[in-house]
Amino acid sequence: MKKILVANRGEIALRIMRTIRKMGIKSVAVYSDADRHSPHVLFADEAVCLGPAPSSQSYLNGDKIIAFCKELGVDGIHPGYGFLSENAEFAQKVTDAGIEFIGPTPEAMRIMGSKLAAKESVKKYNIPMVPGIDRAIDDVNLAIEIADKIGYPVLIKASAGGGGKGMRIVEKADDMQEQMERAISEAKSSFGDGSVFLEKYVTSPRHIEVQVVADKYGNVIHGLERECSIQRRHQKVIEETPSAIVTPEMREKIGDAAVMVAKSCNYVSTGTVEFLVDDKLNFYFLEMNTRLQVEHPVSEMIIGLDLVEQQIRIARGEKLGITQDDIKPNGHAIELRVYAEDPLNNFLPSIGTLTKYEKPTGEGIRVDDGYEEGMTIPIYYDPMIAKLVVHGKTRTEAIQKMLQAIKEYKIEGVATTLPFGTFVFEHDAFFSGKFDTHFVKNYYTPEKIKAKQKANAEIAAIVAIKYWQERKRMLIPVEHKSTSWKRRLAH
Amino acid sequence: MSKRNKTFMVKANEFVFSFDQEEIDKADFIKKNPAEFNLIKDNRSVNAKLLESDIAGKNLKIEVDGETFELVIKDELDQRLDSMGFSSTSTKHIKEIKAPMPGLVLEVAVKEGQEVKEGERILILEAMKMENSIMIHTTAIIKRIAVTPGQAVDKGQVLVELE
Repeated sequence: MKKILVANRGEIALRIMRTIRKMGIKSVAVYSDADRHSPHVLFADEAVCLGPAPSSQSYLNGDKIIAFCKELGVDGIHPGYGFLSENAEFAQKVTDAGIEFIGPTPEAMRIMGSKLAAKESVKKYNIPMVPGIDRAIDDVNLAIEIADKIGYPVLIKASAGGGGKGMRIVEKADDMQEQMERAISEAKSSFGDGSVFLEKYVTSPRHIEVQVVADKYGNVIHGLERECSIQRRHQKVIEETPSAIVTPEMREKIGDAAVMVAKSCNYVSTGTVEFLVDDKLNFYFLEMNTRLQVEHPVSEMIIGLDLVEQQIRIARGEKLGITQDDIKPNGHAIELRVYAEDPLNNFLPSIGTLTKYEKPTGEGIRVDDGYEEGMTIPIYYDPMIAKLVVHGKTRTEAIQKMLQAIKEYKIEGVATTLPFGTFVFEHDAFFSGKFDTHFVKNYYTPEKIKAKQKANAEIAAIVAIKYWQERKRMLIPVEHKSTSWKRRLAH
Repeated sequence: MSKRNKTFMVKANEFVFSFDQEEIDKADFIKKNPAEFNLIKDNRSVNAKLLESDIAGKNLKIEVDGETFELVIKDELDQRLDSMGFSSTSTKHIKEIKAPMPGLVLEVAVKEGQEVKEGERILILEAMKMENSIMIHTTAIIKRIAVTPGQAVDKGQVLVELE
């Protein structure tokens, strides 16, 4: 492989290109009109514009991307995550065009991309699953009927969705109609497929997933688990590995289950098998993400593998150079997703210009980002600015390093999830490891962040007055040359 | 001028504090170097860093515990001047619905002149791939629709005006 096109934007495009360059391969960036200034475009060896800002006219235009590949002599496409990464039709077209798709086969994507086919596929391996319906529907009335049978709360999931997009919890029958309509419409516009899936919403769940790596010769290993239970709006914000609750026995069991899920669809490349874990540490298969996961850096840090490099090696036909026995956890890694969202205002998107942007640096600190100072966060895409990842010898050390790194991360111009991170990492429930996906609902209130900000603001105010008064004293000889105001006051 | 206790008002980002000179004098404050300070408050030892200051030292930027604060100091005179100014709070209430976040208007569900009831959907705003129903929390008549489907709006931009 001599030239790889990265069909993505932002931090992940840049992160993939870094590995591509490290491997002595040329990189091609794609971009929309909104992203001309993005670091991934500036970093790449070649870059092509796909069109206007909306994803449907740019990053989702697979045919245009393939045409550019032919024109530029590209022999591999890395799709990143999101956009076309789990689009089997696109992967098929890429393969048909004689270009290597750096990821799983279209067939594996088709199976795991449909939650129903996925469940069918893993059935014979006796992998436990959550109660729900075994077919996707797009009929509101039928959904209401089924939800009554399963019992509320019910989870609506887009059949083609992922990463929390197109997921809604419905607490009571009254809300079903509106929520269902929105879910279908959202699924249609985001994934081009309006069918949704209903299942029982397990209370007090933890979200634990397992990294898998598979070559083209049937060798599959797992790269340990990631704990992803800290979420807002059913989307992950904080991930860590190893999980604080997974025992060595459970690690082996859940790891084996993940490997079997991968084998059930003849999986190739890196992938992630997601599980729901209840308070008794029972785990249920949720879905498989057939792509590089957003939070892959935490795994890279503790297993010492560059997962993008593994993907490229696998794509060009190399055998896995490691066995399961080589995978040993080294220390502890935590990731905080830095979103342009206001944690004090219900995590609503906070769009603006990064008037200040300074990253933390140091040993065991990794920042995967796609922005620079002065750039504006566009409204068209996911509002993630960066992933702040730290590695420590122990979980406690990693948490402390994270808190320090957050302090050193200076972002002005937009509100971010950084203060939320501080809240979580200082919280007893997080520290003890006893938390579930309801962490935000159970513990988080903006007032707690506000109170801390106010205490710091008061200190800043006192320091300001002290500084000003001292400065005034020093300036007196100059300033006292009677201004008109002084004169007026004197009389 | 009357001799009163000196009162300072300090704005720090969105917070406002008032101090008298005594409180300031009592503060356990040391200067490590011209731009770095330490304050012990409520037994908490906190480091602060001066990032920016204007010549008079009344408009400053100070970092505390990783957070940056923009500060404006108003002494008694400044406060007096402010109170003499035109700070009349005109309570002119324009009835309108504003965008709670920036986004794209996907669909407008109402017409001008239409009567809408509490809880009815006015429009759908898409931001960051999420669709959000913008509901109305009162009963009113739509006077004017200020946006069209496909339009990008900023936070706070008027979406519809109400009678």
